[in-house]
Amino acid sequence: MTQNLLSVQDLEISFRTVAGEVQVVRDLSFELAQGEVLGIVGESGCGKSITALSLLGLVPNPPGRVSKGRILLEGEDIVTASERRLRQIRGNDISMVFQEPMTSLNPVYSVGEQIAETARAHFNSSRSEAWERAIEMLQLVGIPSPERRAHEFPHQLSGGMRQRVMIAIALVCEPKVLIADEPTTALDVTVQAQIFDLFRDLQHKIGAAIILITHDIGVVAQMTDRVIVMYAGRKIEEGPVSAFITDPRHPYTRGLVNCIPRLSLDPSDDPEPLFEIPGVVPSPSDLSLPRCAFAPRCRNAFALCLEKSPPLLPVAEGRAAACWLETEKPG
Amino acid sequence: MNTQVPATALCVSDLVVHFPLSDGKVVHAVDGISFEVPVGTAFGLVGESGSGKTTAALACARLVEATSGTVQLGDIDITQATGNALRAARRDIQVVFQDPFSSLNPRERAGSIVRRPLDLMRIGTPTERERRVDDLFATVGLRPEQKTLFPHQFSGGQRQRIGIARALATNPRLIVCDEPVSALDVAIQAQILNLLARLKRELGLSYLFISHDLAVVQHLCERIAVMYLGQIVEIGSRQEIFRKPMHPYTMALISAVPSTDMDTADTRIRVKGDPPSPISLPPGCRFAGRCPYAVPRCSESLPELVTRDGSHSVACFRTDEPELQIKR
Repeated sequence: MTQNLLSVQDLEISFRTVAGEVQVVRDLSFELAQGEVLGIVGESGCGKSITALSLLGLVPNPPGRVSKGRILLEGEDIVTASERRLRQIRGNDISMVFQEPMTSLNPVYSVGEQIAETARAHFNSSRSEAWERAIEMLQLVGIPSPERRAHEFPHQLSGGMRQRVMIAIALVCEPKVLIADEPTTALDVTVQAQIFDLFRDLQHKIGAAIILITHDIGVVAQMTDRVIVMYAGRKIEEGPVSAFITDPRHPYTRGLVNCIPRLSLDPSDDPEPLFEIPGVVPSPSDLSLPRCAFAPRCRNAFALCLEKSPPLLPVAEGRAAACWLETEKPG
Repeated sequence: MNTQVPATALCVSDLVVHFPLSDGKVVHAVDGISFEVPVGTAFGLVGESGSGKTTAALACARLVEATSGTVQLGDIDITQATGNALRAARRDIQVVFQDPFSSLNPRERAGSIVRRPLDLMRIGTPTERERRVDDLFATVGLRPEQKTLFPHQFSGGQRQRIGIARALATNPRLIVCDEPVSALDVAIQAQILNLLARLKRELGLSYLFISHDLAVVQHLCERIAVMYLGQIVEIGSRQEIFRKPMHPYTMALISAVPSTDMDTADTRIRVKGDPPSPISLPPGCRFAGRCPYAVPRCSESLPELVTRDGSHSVACFRTDEPELQIKR
């Protein structure tokens, strides 16, 4: 392994609710190497987006807080960093592309100004330098006639263009880590394909590591090197993407991979019913029991699953899964 | 199965929906589309945002007014029906909406939401309606005792089940499904798609199924039409569309779907840019500006939808050119 850029250790994120404090992320550890694309997969409410926010020191406090663990960016702990230091890190070292380009851009500033603002905040550059930098970035993300487009406002751009602007803002300071939280869910497939081409390109040019948060297994297969699967706030499986697709170990991962309809170039007349994961995701306040959080939805659950939550254990080279079936076969 | 020509649940011909703007310009949302939905089958309308697929579907249920064209539901043209005839026709065509959060009244209990169409259409006695609601809950996989809960007490997938139960209440012949799974988590999508497939099989339902997700449409629909900027550019059976797509836009759509086979990235057909605005349309083929195979002729005149083989039609001048014969 090369030197790790980002190291998350035993992260726990808690939220205060009327029913007391609940842990939305528990025991989460992972590493991110330079130039790597890491996928974080899971259903809504599994804690993937709040994990992303925590990497930028953006967990809304109150009601939320990082209640345990460390997030080390090249050895420096983000959890304990001052707000002043965090402002330097955000954008400069770690930046983020949000899901909704329409609500994440400011409607009353031109897109050029919004990109230039980021450049000025971090580089102390003059207005005109920052403006030139903004145009350069628009060019880089593939917006035609950037000099003209820079003067336009978000509502004048299409969804794909807006997302390109978001990416331009995120990349203007050439961050070491780019976090993309469902960057293409609001976009059409042909535009999505363009955005991912752009990500790949930029990764080559800038050499940033990317954390891609998504629920689209196809996107994971196409874009990432390594995958973390989260369920109910915990990491339940981790491994290289090829293993994730072809040989998932945790029953939940297997369900996720198999429940999506696959596009076939030779479809049959009478498609088989899709594989179903029964039931729904538990709410964080249901997780007080010591059992495996997935056990109530798991077809293979046995006595031990209801007694004790399984630890994350290595199952193969570079792979880990949190399932008793992988370690303690029943009977 | 009998050998007769299957009856048609819905027959749309030359449907046009234009929205006039205040400055005299017109949004060409749907620009002359025709298709049929045979009884007991699902017809998929795919396309990207702004292609007019949702407007077309809503016009079929007369939730927007058609500018011209007909939508034949049984022996009624729903675009012309009024008063009681329209009310009666709506028994036969119901809608499941995309967003299960905003399409249910938050102040109404689930049971009353599902019973509402029966009340409005005056179907059955009050006790019969109550029994029907119980049956509907069971049909879509909810428990009858959940009738007294409010929408916010259900998960997204369960809410979509309520939406489906409401659509089933009047025993319709055709259900318009407008992106019914796109707001749901992947694991829940499978549950709802399986439910829709089972209802189609067991109740002989027909669907007009709107989606931007090709894999979902392929899974559920026997026939598929691909829309681009208000027009159908290709229409055919499930096998025809996916085995041998003939329109460059269809090919681009298929190849843009991120595949779980990890080595397909390089055979992709890439399209550039965004669709033109439906207000000022180009004179020629509407896809020409983004099409990697366009020749000057494409931007001069509009290709018509021509039947090629079997039930497979395409609107493209260049579909026979060797460079468009896709390599597998």
